[in-house]
Amino acid sequence: MSVPGPWYLGLAAFLFGIGATGLLVRRNILVMYMCIELMLNAVNLTFVTFSRMLNDLGGQDAVFFVLVVAAAEVVVGLGIIVAIYRRRAGATADDVNSLKG
Amino acid sequence: MDQFLPILLMVVLASAFAIGSFIASKMLGPRSHLHAAKVGPYESGIAPRRELAARFPVRFYLVAMIFVIFDIEVVFLYPFAVMFRQLSTFGLVEMASFAAVVFIAFAYLVSEGALDWGPGKRLGSRAGAPVTRSLNATVRRVARPGTPPSARPPVLVEGASTGSGAGARGLDPVRAGASGPHGEEG
Amino acid sequence: MSGGTYLVAAGCTINDITGKISGLCTAKGSIHISINYPALVPFFVLGGGALVVLLLSAVLPKRPYRGLWAGLTVAAGVGTVVDGLVQWQQLNGSSVTPVTLGDQLFYDHMGAFFAVLFGVATVAGAAISDGYLEREGLDGPEPYVLMLSCSLGAVLMADAAGFVTLFLGLEILSISLYAMSAYHRWRAASGEAGLKYLILGSLASAIFIYGAALIYGATGSLQYLGVVSFLADNALFQNGVLLGGMVLVIVGLGFKVAAVPFHFWSPDVYQGAPTPFVGYMAAVAKAAGFAGLLRVLMLALPTLESTWRPIIWVLATLSVVFGSILALVQVDLKRMLAYSSISQAGYVLIGLQAGTAQGVRAVAFYLFTYTFMVIGTFAIVGVLQGRGEARNDLSAVRGLASRSPWLAGAMLVLMLGQAGIPLTSGFLGKWVVIEAVLGQGQYELALIGMLGAAVAAFFYLRVALIMFLAPESPGAPAGGAVTLSATGGPGAATAGGGPSDGGPESSEPGDSGWAAGAGRAYSGSDLQAIVTAGLSARDRALALRPPPHTRVRVPAATAAVIAVCVVFTVFAGVSTPVLSWAHAIALPWSA
Repeated sequence: MSVPGPWYLGLAAFLFGIGATGLLVRRNILVMYMCIELMLNAVNLTFVTFSRMLNDLGGQDAVFFVLVVAAAEVVVGLGIIVAIYRRRAGATADDVNSLKG
Repeated sequence: MDQFLPILLMVVLASAFAIGSFIASKMLGPRSHLHAAKVGPYESGIAPRRELAARFPVRFYLVAMIFVIFDIEVVFLYPFAVMFRQLSTFGLVEMASFAAVVFIAFAYLVSEGALDWGPGKRLGSRAGAPVTRSLNATVRRVARPGTPPSARPPVLVEGASTGSGAGARGLDPVRAGASGPHGEEG
Repeated sequence: MSGGTYLVAAGCTINDITGKISGLCTAKGSIHISINYPALVPFFVLGGGALVVLLLSAVLPKRPYRGLWAGLTVAAGVGTVVDGLVQWQQLNGSSVTPVTLGDQLFYDHMGAFFAVLFGVATVAGAAISDGYLEREGLDGPEPYVLMLSCSLGAVLMADAAGFVTLFLGLEILSISLYAMSAYHRWRAASGEAGLKYLILGSLASAIFIYGAALIYGATGSLQYLGVVSFLADNALFQNGVLLGGMVLVIVGLGFKVAAVPFHFWSPDVYQGAPTPFVGYMAAVAKAAGFAGLLRVLMLALPTLESTWRPIIWVLATLSVVFGSILALVQVDLKRMLAYSSISQAGYVLIGLQAGTAQGVRAVAFYLFTYTFMVIGTFAIVGVLQGRGEARNDLSAVRGLASRSPWLAGAMLVLMLGQAGIPLTSGFLGKWVVIEAVLGQGQYELALIGMLGAAVAAFFYLRVALIMFLAPESPGAPAGGAVTLSATGGPGAATAGGGPSDGGPESSEPGDSGWAAGAGRAYSGSDLQAIVTAGLSARDRALALRPPPHTRVRVPAATAAVIAVCVVFTVFAGVSTPVLSWAHAIALPWSA
């Protein structure tokens, strides 16, 4: 009945990979934020799975902090986007190019 | 079966509230005579080819961001609630100080006018000069042809700063137009 | 779920099936959490300072009076420094005391040392921000709140006894820095810098915490001491998960300290973000990242030393080499300093690579002295660049020696310090770091470090030389620049094309005039060729522009910070109290 732990770990690694790839490939900043969220949630899944496999609550504690941090990160990001939007028209990463590199 | 009764009751109550709100707003709200042509983008009757992207005022994002932060703080209340008895006074003091921290952030938000609903003039006026989009509209203000360059919203770009004196020229209207984040505050 | 018991706090366990609580806390049916309040004073001071500023800004009328926010921040920073020193005294050399908040924080010498460092950076950062924000019309309480919370996160990172606390500190630090980078709202580059830093920094954070999750999965503990005791008791036959976790943690923290190849965010952010904040960030983010890395590698993963030392070796080499070489071709002062700080991170990594107590103390000394040098340098850049950060290129310092001799002298000392010239703290820092790896028989790394320092000395001295060029050159018709290319030596020869038509590739009408004039005025001395060697033709023209005509105005607080930084750089270089202080750090592990 129950799904074995390593499957969850594989799923989490897969999600983390999708997030990382998306972050590097996609150009829309909001999509990039979603990718960051995806990566952090993959981490959460990993924590919870290990927590269950090891029968230790420490991993689940960590999830709380990761959740809060993810929210704070995205909110600061949105704030910066709003500030940039006010100055210029577009909001894709390609528009943000007056700094080289 | 007994244990599902509260859930059922909850479902019924929630649906009743939702449906009731709709009916009440239909009955009590101001009557409008909207029809398809009236709400279309062009009242003249030209049908738009495709759906336009919905426009949200920037204020929407501000409120959403504030909501997300305060919403997520609640996460810490759940473990506290579970361990409430064991933690006893210590936990209470701890959570009170946590709540105080959140409250101070809230007080800051209120003082900044982030929660001032209604016409957004106040926030708009203090946001400083180089706002090419207002808080209530995403329409970009563009200088009319013939407007002197000094009247255009100054945007400092890195390229401008390498030209001789361009940086200073670009910034002056900023200084004239706004005296900082809290300018124009009584 | 089989019945397991878990530890809630020191001496207190809960059975997760029966919910039965046993241990110390059964006495009154409550959980006893031991809190060592003296260990938490830096957090109360910094966090309290941030909250006081925030609250006062909410209740006071706007703009109460100038310098209030900066003053409060400086006060909180001073409080942190004082408390760090008090902690140091009280600890009195006793080493491991993993103590407080459910074993989440260490209370030890290293934490106290770094608390002093972050306190100093807060004081200096706030003092130089005040004048800058006033000039840019940006003053308000927000940057100071962010700065204080950033320092709080940094202290948390240095004190963390587990990966979750480290992550929390890392994020408090990083999120504050993202907002600070984007704070200059009239400058498009600032918003971009903040956005770039945020996206790449979030990627790094996610990688770091994923690594921590893997280490947790492999060892069953998120606490450093739990990890190390597990690894001491159990021989892992398949430690792929553990190694993967370790590599990801190193990548995540390597990102924060801007080690090559995870450095690519740093030049953009340094260039775009407000200058005083960059100085603060360069000092604090680096020190905090290294404090975290030190604890993770030396305390939690000493059994994997044979694996992580080669990784750090590669990072250190790449950082020193690429940081120094790429800094050579930068014409933007802040970008150049970004690459310079990458190469400085390389030296810190060299000390870390030694993997010994000596190396750790060398790292601590290096970071402490670097704090003063980098904040002082950015303070000077901040006043020279003029309103709106108009002039960030090398020519902004041109002729500084005659325009403002004191400032030029200060910049000279700081540049010499970062280059590692004897009689400065930078020399001593590089010396102890290289000594530490030599003690481990790492001759190649020591050699790379010394060669890197030689390369790096060139671009620091370039800044110093440009300061001593005459600010203005008599205007001369085009043709003088030919002299420039003729006397240009290897740098000019490789520039390609040659500036035969005056200021090449430049649309500014004034360019050809002054480039030519500059070329003629100094064609005999070769000085110009030296200062512009390695730059492309266009950058050479930029670097030789006349400086802005405005008088350099140095706010009193900024001047004080610059003076302190210069005096400290010399003091720590010619005498040993600072060095012996760093050498007295009692380490929380038996290395």
